[in-house]
Amino acid sequence: MLEELRKTCRDLLEKGTVNVVIGYGQDDASLPAYPIFVTRPEDADRLVWNDRCFANLVTYLTKPEVKALGKPAVILKGCDERALVVLAKESQIDRGQMVAIGLACEGVGDPREAKCLVCDVHQPKYCDIVLGEAKNQPLPAERRYADIEELMKKTPAERMAFWREELSRCIKCYACRQVCPLCYCNRCLADKNQPQCIDTSSTLKGNFAWHLMRAFHLAARCVGCDECTRACPAGINLRLLNQTLARSAEEQFGYRSGIDPQAEPVVGAYSLQDKEEFIR
Amino acid sequence: MSEIISQEKLRRLVGEWIAAGKRVGGPRRVKSGLVLYAALNNAGELLLDGFIHPANSIKEFIFPRHEVLYSYRLEGKKIALGEPEPLSAEQIVVGARPCDAAALPILDHVFNWDYRDPFFNRRREMTTVVTLACTEHDNQCFCTSVGLAPDATAGSDVLLVDLGDGSYEVRFVTDKGRKLLAGQTEQSSKVGQVPPGPEPKLDPKDIRAILDGDFDSPLWQELTLRCMGCGACSYSCPTCHCFDIVDEGNARGGVRAKNWDACQFGLFTQHASGHNPRTVQGQRQRQRLYHKFSIYPAKFGAILCTGCGNCTRNCPVSLGVLTVIREAARRIEVKSGKPAAATNT
Amino acid sequence: MNDNVYQPDLMEVIQVRQHTPDVRSVRIRFQDENKAKNFAFHVGQFGIVSAFGYGESTFNICSSSTWKDFIEFCFRRTGRVTEALWQAQEGDTIGFRGPYGNYYPMDDGWRGKNLIFIGGGIAMPPIRCAIWYALENRKDYGDITIVYGARSVQDLVYRDELAEWAKHERVRVVQCVDPGGETPDWQGEIGFVPAVVERAKIPAANAAALVIGPPIMIKYTLPVLEKMGLADQDIYTSLENRMKCGIGKCGRCNTGAVYVCKDGPVFTLEQIKKLPADDM
Repeated sequence: MLEELRKTCRDLLEKGTVNVVIGYGQDDASLPAYPIFVTRPEDADRLVWNDRCFANLVTYLTKPEVKALGKPAVILKGCDERALVVLAKESQIDRGQMVAIGLACEGVGDPREAKCLVCDVHQPKYCDIVLGEAKNQPLPAERRYADIEELMKKTPAERMAFWREELSRCIKCYACRQVCPLCYCNRCLADKNQPQCIDTSSTLKGNFAWHLMRAFHLAARCVGCDECTRACPAGINLRLLNQTLARSAEEQFGYRSGIDPQAEPVVGAYSLQDKEEFIR
Repeated sequence: MSEIISQEKLRRLVGEWIAAGKRVGGPRRVKSGLVLYAALNNAGELLLDGFIHPANSIKEFIFPRHEVLYSYRLEGKKIALGEPEPLSAEQIVVGARPCDAAALPILDHVFNWDYRDPFFNRRREMTTVVTLACTEHDNQCFCTSVGLAPDATAGSDVLLVDLGDGSYEVRFVTDKGRKLLAGQTEQSSKVGQVPPGPEPKLDPKDIRAILDGDFDSPLWQELTLRCMGCGACSYSCPTCHCFDIVDEGNARGGVRAKNWDACQFGLFTQHASGHNPRTVQGQRQRQRLYHKFSIYPAKFGAILCTGCGNCTRNCPVSLGVLTVIREAARRIEVKSGKPAAATNT
Repeated sequence: MNDNVYQPDLMEVIQVRQHTPDVRSVRIRFQDENKAKNFAFHVGQFGIVSAFGYGESTFNICSSSTWKDFIEFCFRRTGRVTEALWQAQEGDTIGFRGPYGNYYPMDDGWRGKNLIFIGGGIAMPPIRCAIWYALENRKDYGDITIVYGARSVQDLVYRDELAEWAKHERVRVVQCVDPGGETPDWQGEIGFVPAVVERAKIPAANAAALVIGPPIMIKYTLPVLEKMGLADQDIYTSLENRMKCGIGKCGRCNTGAVYVCKDGPVFTLEQIKKLPADDM
């Protein structure tokens, strides 16, 4: 598949269909593969594809420095594709002005990442080009949110103790925000100071405020790519926090972000059939 | 003749120090796959092998990520300021890597440049650092490229060298170190052998020449295009020390505190007028490298980097100082006529 | 800790003066009598003013160092801290720490020279302190020329003092507003500062110039001064950079090989040319 991928990208660049291919490169196998921006056809050979291709490259589609390179092709795993669907739905990208190259993926990481163990999007479905074949086995919600279900079995006091321990380690590096494809606000609420809604200090108060606020801003949007969890230098299990509201959205509204490009986003649309009275 | 101490005894001492109310820190396995320097609750938590380098540095003990400078109370037209509790407990860091300890005398320069930071200095005074010589390294380590070594003693009070038999050779570096382990060591004829560190991967003099010669190179933007602008590198770095000063409280009062900050954040250099001298990540990454390898050496005679490799290990996209500088060195070589490699990162 | 270099002195606000719809100047004096008596600084230095609960901001001390009863700063309400300072009234308490930075060579390189002061908009205050110092030590300096402009008449600050300066011996004051910024009764020049400086035909022999203003004004004024025959080491400016600690530790104002708070903020053009242009 790698040769096919390189050839595909080479062709896209040669023909001028795209100006840049956003993919993965690697020179030190002991480090994760890293995002590369290929603008010359001959450099397509630098592209790699392996189980260390963690990064969600969709994040770069909203970065001005990358947009300046021109029309992109972006290489996507199934989980990354979900973020693409959400960005398109939130009008942050012009889906027609890019080429999405989906790669069938059996999972990343050794041992496999938590998200891969419950993945039902091994085969991308909405890309312009798809390489490889994988099976998308539907999984029931209880399996997909198994780790959250475990956490929910604890008492509120136990859960609070758990989160106090986890979030006390936060150093406010904002890696979670920067790697997240859906954190694309020009000015994050945490960076505003009139008023200062979120204490910037790395105190329990400041850390709770930041993570809870971000989790809510991702409510029914987070696609579970888990880049936040991987990027966190303090090893905070952000997956548990950010996917909890995804679980709620599925429970309450039958909605999973980025799974169906036609579905209306829960926090981005209203419906006259909404079960709440006040909206009518 | 040498002085030695058994690991068992060392752990017993750690337990005694904790029981005596001292704040003892060291490498701790926080969860599977994550080792951090952290305060130890008991001697069993101290991790002395099985990892290359914790994901953070010991600067937290000297330069905490949040430190109260003073408190203020608002009383009508009047303000009352309150002094913070000075650090009262002695601190001992056990099992620090030499690259982490070496950062401390490097930081002494800036925190005492004309104005002496009493918070930093007090913590320095009250902290004893026991380092452990490295027996292995990974691809990200490059201490030997910045004048250090697996058994470097800069910033250390006592250096332990693993003898491989459950004991350590104890090499006292300072009086503070001698005082800490006075009477706790035994004489021995065994001397620790420290394996060589990583092969030097760059020459800081060459790097400085490249940086000083080609500030405006479009290289910076190309090389760092994948940088996401988080603070993971700066915050896990033993020598990065930029900070913010914030007021936090309510209508009655609050505290003014020093918090870690990073030149990688977009708003770091934003002026009140709205003008921002560094608008793209390439400029910000360049600043970090310049500060480390050109500006700090020019001002204080010390490189602001100890080659610990944390920046690359923690970077979600595998950047970091070593990666960028090696690529820069390679590209400048290319300029001088050698065969060109890919120009994209 | 008395040695807490970050702790400000408490100051009483003794006068608040409004200059334009969004610019005020504030006079403060030390609450501690000892400090009030012994405080000294050099014109050109800056201080860091606290609005407790909101934060600190950096301002040039715009009063003359020969005035012992108070110090003064002038600011535009533009953000969190200046908005809080805008609420300050006589009798209120704010914080001050300083003086920091280097200063104009009033007793050194500028002695005996003809002084040319060029300022734009809110940049008048850092020039004002030098002007008053020179006037109070009149025999130490030659001819004094002041060119000051703003976008419109209502954006000019310290208008009463500008009129007063013009009355002094061998002092020439040229005021200007941008085309379109004049009022029917405007007596001054109309034009942008660089053009007005050129028109003013100021003799450059034995002169030193202090130019402070928005980057674009400085950019176009410098060639005029060079054409007049001023050497790089005789052209001075005061840099505004984002500062926090003011004492060379927090790293924020570091650009090129300098920390603006310690090596500046006063620089000659010769020094500025050595700083990276792309970083300012």
